[in-house]
Amino acid sequence: MAEFSAFLSSAPPWFPLRFVPARDLLGVLPILIVGAGVVLVLLADLAVPRRGNRVLPALTGIVLLGALGTAVGQWVVNAAHPIVFNGAYANDRFALFADFVVLLTTLAVVVLSPGYLRRRGMEEGEYYMLLLASVAGMLVLDGALNLIVVFLGIELLSIPLYVLAGFARDDPLPQEAAMKYLLLGGFASGFLVYGMALIYGETGHTGLVAIHNVLTQTALRQQFDPLLLAGIALLAVGLAFKVSAAPFHWWTPDVYQGSPAVVTTFMSVATKVAAFAVFLRLFSATLAPYRSEWQVPIAVVAIISMVFGNVVAVAQTSVKRLLAYSGIAQAGYIMIGVAVGRPDGTQAALYYLAAYAFMNTGAFAVITILSRRGEDCDRFSQLSGLARRQPLLAGLMSVFMLSLAGFPLTVGFFGKFFLFSAAIHDGQLPLAIWGILTSAVSLIYYLRVILIMFSGVPEVEHEEDETLHLAGVTMDGSAVAARAPAATGGMPATAVILLAGVGTLVLGIFPALIYTLLQGISVVHG
Amino acid sequence: MSWPILAVILLVPLCGAMLLLVVPGSRSGVIRVVLATVTAVTLGLSCVLLVAFLAVPSPASSRLTGTANGQSLTTVHSPVTFQFQEQVNWLHTSGSLSRFQPALNEGNNAFNQSGPPPINFSFHLGVDGLSVWLIALAALLFLVAAVVLSRKEPHLKAFAVLMLLSEVGVIGVLTSLDLVLFYFFWEAALIPLYFLMLGWGDERRGRAAIKFIVYTVAGSLFMLLAIIGVYFVTGTQTGVYTFDVPTLIAAQSFVQTIHSTTFSLFGHSFPALNPQDWLFLAFALAFAIKVPLVPFHSWLPDAYSSGRTPFLVFFAGIVSKLGAFGFIRYNLTLFPQASHFFQPLLMGLGVASILYGALAALAQSDIKRIVAYASISHLGFVVLGIFALNVDGLNGAIIQMVNHGVVIAALFICVGIFEARFATRRLADLGGLAKAMPVMAGVFLVVALAGLGMPLLNSFVGEFLILLGAFQVSPAWAVIASLGVILACWYMLRMYQGLTQGPLRAPGASNEESVVQLAVQRIGRVDLGPIELVALAPLVALMVVIGVYPAPIIRYSRFSAAQYVQAVDRGSLAKTSDRTVTPPGSSYRGVG
Repeated sequence: MAEFSAFLSSAPPWFPLRFVPARDLLGVLPILIVGAGVVLVLLADLAVPRRGNRVLPALTGIVLLGALGTAVGQWVVNAAHPIVFNGAYANDRFALFADFVVLLTTLAVVVLSPGYLRRRGMEEGEYYMLLLASVAGMLVLDGALNLIVVFLGIELLSIPLYVLAGFARDDPLPQEAAMKYLLLGGFASGFLVYGMALIYGETGHTGLVAIHNVLTQTALRQQFDPLLLAGIALLAVGLAFKVSAAPFHWWTPDVYQGSPAVVTTFMSVATKVAAFAVFLRLFSATLAPYRSEWQVPIAVVAIISMVFGNVVAVAQTSVKRLLAYSGIAQAGYIMIGVAVGRPDGTQAALYYLAAYAFMNTGAFAVITILSRRGEDCDRFSQLSGLARRQPLLAGLMSVFMLSLAGFPLTVGFFGKFFLFSAAIHDGQLPLAIWGILTSAVSLIYYLRVILIMFSGVPEVEHEEDETLHLAGVTMDGSAVAARAPAATGGMPATAVILLAGVGTLVLGIFPALIYTLLQGISVVHG
Repeated sequence: MSWPILAVILLVPLCGAMLLLVVPGSRSGVIRVVLATVTAVTLGLSCVLLVAFLAVPSPASSRLTGTANGQSLTTVHSPVTFQFQEQVNWLHTSGSLSRFQPALNEGNNAFNQSGPPPINFSFHLGVDGLSVWLIALAALLFLVAAVVLSRKEPHLKAFAVLMLLSEVGVIGVLTSLDLVLFYFFWEAALIPLYFLMLGWGDERRGRAAIKFIVYTVAGSLFMLLAIIGVYFVTGTQTGVYTFDVPTLIAAQSFVQTIHSTTFSLFGHSFPALNPQDWLFLAFALAFAIKVPLVPFHSWLPDAYSSGRTPFLVFFAGIVSKLGAFGFIRYNLTLFPQASHFFQPLLMGLGVASILYGALAALAQSDIKRIVAYASISHLGFVVLGIFALNVDGLNGAIIQMVNHGVVIAALFICVGIFEARFATRRLADLGGLAKAMPVMAGVFLVVALAGLGMPLLNSFVGEFLILLGAFQVSPAWAVIASLGVILACWYMLRMYQGLTQGPLRAPGASNEESVVQLAVQRIGRVDLGPIELVALAPLVALMVVIGVYPAPIIRYSRFSAAQYVQAVDRGSLAKTSDRTVTPPGSSYRGVG
């Protein structure tokens, strides 16, 4: 670090980082790496030809690996002084854990992307740049220790996503999705800012630690403080939008269905992790003195999400839409951890987020691989008979579905186990009971996906049909399907799904692998 | 035993499944040989376990020392003793949390006062005089299923792999001594069963599979809550936070369950349910769905009538026993007082199942559905015996669990044989088959008689003991339940007579010769083949042996039954009469 300081002070006067303490820069090194990566990828996009090259994804992957490596390094060494930038940012283990999940998910998305973008004919260099910019926002969010930084992170995360959602420019559905996402996301940001303003007005601080200290004192006075409570409520609404918890979820199904599958993967996992990181930090730490005020509303949101997401998912016929509603339901489960608010609730929520990253990335990755020229194959009819065409893919998809449903042998089981035991330990039995009831409902649609893949004949693939007719070949549908080349995203994509599947199973049998990490978690606070 | 026999019993089918994965799917002969070998080795090991268990009557008792409400406790022995225990740590947390301390720890709940307790669970295996029989039964039925599995079964390899995985799950449920591990196996076993139901069977199988899974998992999830609840309730009351079953059983001696509060309804005051009661009900719901008891049974006829014979052999034979096993192992020991409180309810449900199952079986025209409803009726007897909460009833229930497994497996094999030969399950379509297949008719007669509780065959022993136990509690229930035995004669003999007596007929056959010809065209023979004979022989032999000379099995299972009665009697101040524990090998002679 001394060398780094010396290097900085010897830097030329125009170098902007001269005046920043080295410790602070080291503290946000993953963000800096990803930020530099954004610029790098943008420049490289000018230099390399667009079609069919692997330079940009490789570069993006290297940037993400670099950030991941740095984060791991920080996990190992920095536990003593995690607060940097004068109390605006903390790279504590809580933030680093969320960073790991975000970075790993994004890596998976980057590996899946080239093949998918080629098939859908939208290989554009901006894609990787936007992805990295959004990741930078997520990393900012994970460790944000100031309301301003929270807002910065949210916007940095969201704006690239608005563009990414509408990335398939010649298709009306993604355009609609992007517009919906933009408008509703804008609303959510408005709520968030308003809430922050009210809290600032009542406490006089934007730093989370300072706010916590003020609230600890005001809470003791037992005064009814409508403006502060309104601020907390608006904050919760804004964040609930971002994690897509019901009743603030209206954008989710359309956006998930309309966006390209790789973007949906990224959006559904990484965004949720980052948004929940800040949710957990704000509510279970900063606003902990007002726990008795916010606990019931948060619990109600959790229950509404679980019920609404799971019940509506039963009626879906598109896997992307089904996973969108399942995502709403999963947000409800994680909200149990927020509502409990105690250390075990936070741990359980983090565990579930890690579990969710494995199983949801895997499930969306299967959809990604199945995509064809011009469209995503996510309707039930297109999945029918998948087990016969591609047994490995169908088997892994079953693993992800069972894990999302919370079956033992998969990581989803321990996710729910820890969440429910946190809720029961906190005496919040209704949360656990609603969780149980809705989990039972969720079986209907998760198992239906498996049922469809394992029964039913493979769909007659019309495009191939036509080409075969042109070639003078006629045969019945099943024969065509048997002849049709198995759609694979190539080796790397298959490897991602395999890794997600193996992770889902191994962590489902040895929960200690993640849980011991969480034991060392600390959330820096007051 | 110095080597971990239980772990080996679990690993053998698992390794067998892995081995089968590398066998090419077209080599159906190899697959069948591997499958039969693996299940035979498992059976051999569980017989070794059974013999070793019976030879060592000195059980290692588990002790517990703890503090409750500030007072130190004396060391307590668990009334139920487990042998061949193996324990490996699974997840161990310290419980002390790092620097993340939310500033305020408010709340009026008792749970909130202390910090988070450690969460520990382990791979803890062990057997007692209840599970050791069921493990042997499971291993036998899986071997029988492997024998009857046809070489022409579509996707044979997948079927075999899933079957072995189910065996791991089932034996895991029977051997686990940690609540989390138990739940783990309990649910994990459903996954291969679900795929087995989904992939093989008649056209309604998809719906039946989802119905089965949603029913059972809905019940199990409540049990999951209750498992977490037991952990915290026991922990806050005794200071012992554990999922370990022997420790929990011992700890129940200190858990206070007093019906102190009441609520009034229609001018009467009723005791309000305390946490123990709710936990009991959550466990009971999961087990009642699995058994199934009557209001929760509607998944069963669909599942049983759409499944394939080899699947039904172990699905009906052993999976349904897991519910009854759960009642004894968990409900009676963990919630002794609630068991007494809900005794009338559960006995009532048992009797309702007996009568409903028997009457429904009478009304069926599909022979598979007759057997399915007969199974509900027979399992009602088991639950009736369990909740008699005395040594005779429990003893009968344990024996009847084994008996039912043997009889129902044989019945499904017989029904499957008729279905395969004549391509129909309608009772009205078939008749006079004794002329065409005399050996089969003879075997079927024995099986049907065993099914209706004929003396000198095995079911009689169990049903007699159960009725004996139930009579001591409530003569009225016993009398009503015995109507089930009469009805059993009716529906079993109706099926037997309809199939084997009268003029020989089958669908699509104009005269007697063409009945035989049709069967020969489909299967290659009309009477029992050697493989079918090999599959049925051990089952029929068991029916006769247990029926004629039940004394050894009664003597050993009585010891175990007495242990469980002792466990459940901790919750009752009044009942002390049944507490005599007679170790096997003493001069006691069992009933029968």
